[in-house]
Amino acid sequence: MSAGTSLGFPAATPLQAGETVLLPERIGDLTGLGEFGLAGELFAAFIAAFIVANIMMAMTGVAGPWAKRKITAAFTDRIAVNHLGPGGIFIIVADAVRLLSKENIIPEHADRPAYDLAPIVIAGSALLGFAVIPMGSGIHLADPEVGLAFVFAVAGIASIGLVMAGYASGNKYSMLGGLRAVAQNIAYEIPLVVTGLSVVLFAGSLRMSEIVAVQNETVLFTIPGLEWAVPAWYALVNPFAFVLFLIANFAEVGRNPFDMPEAPAELIAGYQTEYSSVQFVLVYLGEFLHIFLGGAIIATIFLGGPAGPGPAELGIVWFLLKIWAVFFLTQWLRSAIPRVRIDHLIEIGWKGLLVLSFANLGLTAAIVWVIA
Amino acid sequence: MIGLLKSMATTMKHALDGSTFTVEYPETAPDVSPRFRGVHKFSQERCIWCRQCENVCPNDTIQIVMDDKRNGEQYNLHIGQCIYCRLCEEVCPVDAILLTQNFEFTADTKQDLVYNKEQLKSVPWYKDIDPLESREPDRGAWIGEGDGEVDYQ
Amino acid sequence: MSTGIEKSEATGEEDALEALLADRAIAHDDHLNAPGFVVNPTDVQDVLTDLREEAGYDHLSCVTSQQYEDRYETIYHLTKFADRTDEVSVVVPTSLSNPVSQSAEPVFRTADWHEREAYDLVGIEYEDHPDLRRILLPETWQGHPLGGDYDQEKPQLVTLTEHENPIQPDHHDQESDTMFLNIGPHHPATHGVLHVKTVLDGETVVDVEPDIGYLHRCEEQMCQQGTYRHQIMPYPDRWDYVSAGLLNEWAYARAIEDMADIEVPEYAQVIRTMSAELCRIASHMLALGTFALDVYGEFTAIFQYTFRDREVVQDILEELTGQRMMFNYFRVGGVAWDLPEPREDFLEQTRDFLDELPAKVAEYNDMVTSNEIFQTRCVDTGVIDAETVKDYGCTGPVARGSGVDYDLRRDDPYGYYEDLEWDVITRDGCDNYARVLCRMQEVEESAKIIEQCVDLLEDWPEDERTVQANVPRTLKPDADTETYRAVEAAKGELGIYLRSDGTDKPGRFKIRSPCFSNLQALEEMSEGEYIPDLIASLGSLDIVLGEVDR
Repeated sequence: MSAGTSLGFPAATPLQAGETVLLPERIGDLTGLGEFGLAGELFAAFIAAFIVANIMMAMTGVAGPWAKRKITAAFTDRIAVNHLGPGGIFIIVADAVRLLSKENIIPEHADRPAYDLAPIVIAGSALLGFAVIPMGSGIHLADPEVGLAFVFAVAGIASIGLVMAGYASGNKYSMLGGLRAVAQNIAYEIPLVVTGLSVVLFAGSLRMSEIVAVQNETVLFTIPGLEWAVPAWYALVNPFAFVLFLIANFAEVGRNPFDMPEAPAELIAGYQTEYSSVQFVLVYLGEFLHIFLGGAIIATIFLGGPAGPGPAELGIVWFLLKIWAVFFLTQWLRSAIPRVRIDHLIEIGWKGLLVLSFANLGLTAAIVWVIA
Repeated sequence: MIGLLKSMATTMKHALDGSTFTVEYPETAPDVSPRFRGVHKFSQERCIWCRQCENVCPNDTIQIVMDDKRNGEQYNLHIGQCIYCRLCEEVCPVDAILLTQNFEFTADTKQDLVYNKEQLKSVPWYKDIDPLESREPDRGAWIGEGDGEVDYQ
Repeated sequence: MSTGIEKSEATGEEDALEALLADRAIAHDDHLNAPGFVVNPTDVQDVLTDLREEAGYDHLSCVTSQQYEDRYETIYHLTKFADRTDEVSVVVPTSLSNPVSQSAEPVFRTADWHEREAYDLVGIEYEDHPDLRRILLPETWQGHPLGGDYDQEKPQLVTLTEHENPIQPDHHDQESDTMFLNIGPHHPATHGVLHVKTVLDGETVVDVEPDIGYLHRCEEQMCQQGTYRHQIMPYPDRWDYVSAGLLNEWAYARAIEDMADIEVPEYAQVIRTMSAELCRIASHMLALGTFALDVYGEFTAIFQYTFRDREVVQDILEELTGQRMMFNYFRVGGVAWDLPEPREDFLEQTRDFLDELPAKVAEYNDMVTSNEIFQTRCVDTGVIDAETVKDYGCTGPVARGSGVDYDLRRDDPYGYYEDLEWDVITRDGCDNYARVLCRMQEVEESAKIIEQCVDLLEDWPEDERTVQANVPRTLKPDADTETYRAVEAAKGELGIYLRSDGTDKPGRFKIRSPCFSNLQALEEMSEGEYIPDLIASLGSLDIVLGEVDR
């Protein structure tokens, strides 16, 4: 089992915990900022964060106005955007200009500071999560001991943003949307975290880099004739947990079949009904960031993070590919699966997923204990 | 669960076969039926100013102005108000007004959509389809000869 | 001989009715479609109860109101769900000075909205009516536009403050556990400009009240100002404007052909039957697609797939009629055009569509009806039982989804339906799921009808291809001829009441819209359920606001 690493499948990050070279350090070394003490380190960290945030924002920029349209169009036998640039890609620029140049209308009864802060909280919480995700090719901002817990924690902040948006808009539809968002997030956060815990049991660590490393250390099986050995990614080791996590994640980010907080046919646009212009862009971006963060967590703890065939420098490519696969799945479900009703949703959460996730945790614990 | 998977499989099948049913509109103009009813074309040479089209029009789209000797002076048609029912063409005894297949018309103001007889004359054929040709076989069926009271006015 | 027997039967029935009504029937006012009994305004409930309980007239199809020179008149068009051809009209005259009549609402729930409309447009007041308010026009409208003394020159709207009593106490509760929510008039799921006043307890719907009239375009008045021969026919397309145009045109054609006694050539009837069923398919496709939008969300693929298939139907209809939605294809006494030349190509095109349809229906079944989440969403939601359906006068797929076996194409045959092989689809589910399935199966039945029509059209003798009867240029039916005729439109029973006043334009033109009656039942369906179910029920009713408001 342990012969895996030599089979043309190099791990993306050095295996020994604590020796991971993080992006801020690398920038510090490259630019010489590291020599300026704490201030230099902080500045290097800032630059690194800037780079990561921009990658993610650029991705949402591609996903929102363009990829989403193209993917949906493929499912529905349409063509979608195709006039601006190759495949209509420059619609991103056009849409950005259009959205940002619109008038920002703030409802009379809006609860001001909360109303203005909500989009920032929604988008910001998702961006924070990316700090601890190892994206391969050396792009990894921080690697704290409690990486996974940190991701879950900051992703959970988003629900506060949703309530703020829902409540502060002074609109009954927003209110209903905000309340649905809370009910849903509470119901699905627990199965999400508990299923995540089963991975921690396997890996023996909450540290993201370690979870990735452990997955890629071992080889599940090799396919004869192929260069690439199939590593013990947790999606393959424990597909049950993977499916559970996937479902809980869709509910957590509010995508079909669990897009209750927006549910346009029922609540117009839920908590984001009243937002316009820049604030709308932030909320909209925040949603996509959350889908990508969900994808990033799934990729990291179930799909071996940035690992894949080829040299380790390709890590980021594999990583983004995995995130996009999750994004693609959300769009696919969107075009094929009906929205469940809010009471069913809560029922599935508390009576179904919660029980199943604890069962999964127990089972995993038992297996780990037996192996140990 | 099987039903869900079936739904997903069906949509994926559509995504993969690559066929689309929408048209890239300005580049590929759609084919329309020869019977399609678009903007009117008017021929002053043919018109005998009988005013039947003006009378039959359900919502007063056509306005005809005549001098005191009943010679036609103006023939105005509000193509924005028209409901394209083709009754004017149907009652016209001399084919002086026809509905072309041309459905592409725009204007900046409502007033610009009021066409006078010159504008109506220069309405282009859509893809060079002459609508009268397609309609000729049924010409006789348009207006019943009727044994009731005939009212030409 | 046979006609003689029918006649005696009919009169026998009339005698029985007369015996039932006894001296409450003060006179006869027969319509072309049904015997009419004139009753006193104070006897309305009594008479209607007897007719419903004793004689079995359980379907109040329509309520027509109008003003004559010397009186107001309300006509209750009654018929039976079990036998549509058995009709009776109850005519209730009221004086000009005191237009008060007893309400039929306690006997037939459906009379609620119909009488509100009569009050709103004509100005007759109904005693005992639970909620006599304006329905189509704004609350602050002045006067009754179809009444004789209506002055169009006067201001028609006043501000709400001028209209309402300023010292009237405010009944709003300071504190309550419920939330009032306006769904619409601008809302993604109201299928047009419908306003649903909803009271919510959490997510549960406590009270629902549809507020209609936002799309009121005076269709009845417009038809009253058009000539029978030409000018009315373009308008029916615009009632139910989502591709059910020909079905609506047929309603008018049927009424006027009955009134002016015009025999339509059989060949034209076959073309009418075929094209109307094409319209039905297009309309049901749209119903399925928009229902999917309500249940699935706005990015569902089903909507696009149904639109793709509807597009094929519309191409066929465009070849035939020249237009995609506003057809204006029927004429009094026939249709405007024969099949397009070359005829083989057209029939081939139609056959191709029919050949591909089963595969598409199978696809819908894969995507919609067999989907478990869809089933949990739709089964046992929006429940309405058969008795309530009848009480509310619901027709079409809404009634048939609740097991009411009622279809005018079979029960009151017109066109060529009688000679074709097809079935009326009924389902006993009474819920949203049953209504959706009902529509999907009706599409298959329509395909059967079209197939037979295509065969007929292909083999029709060349010299008998007459598309129009010999109809005079100007139609002037005898004065005071009245008729009420209905057809099975896409959403249900679409009826037209016509009264001639001796000119070439109708004296009264009344539309009985199926959506109007169906929408009234929304209350019954969705109270006590969740908001998503309310939205789904609204979608499954398949209303078109153009037809509700007219």
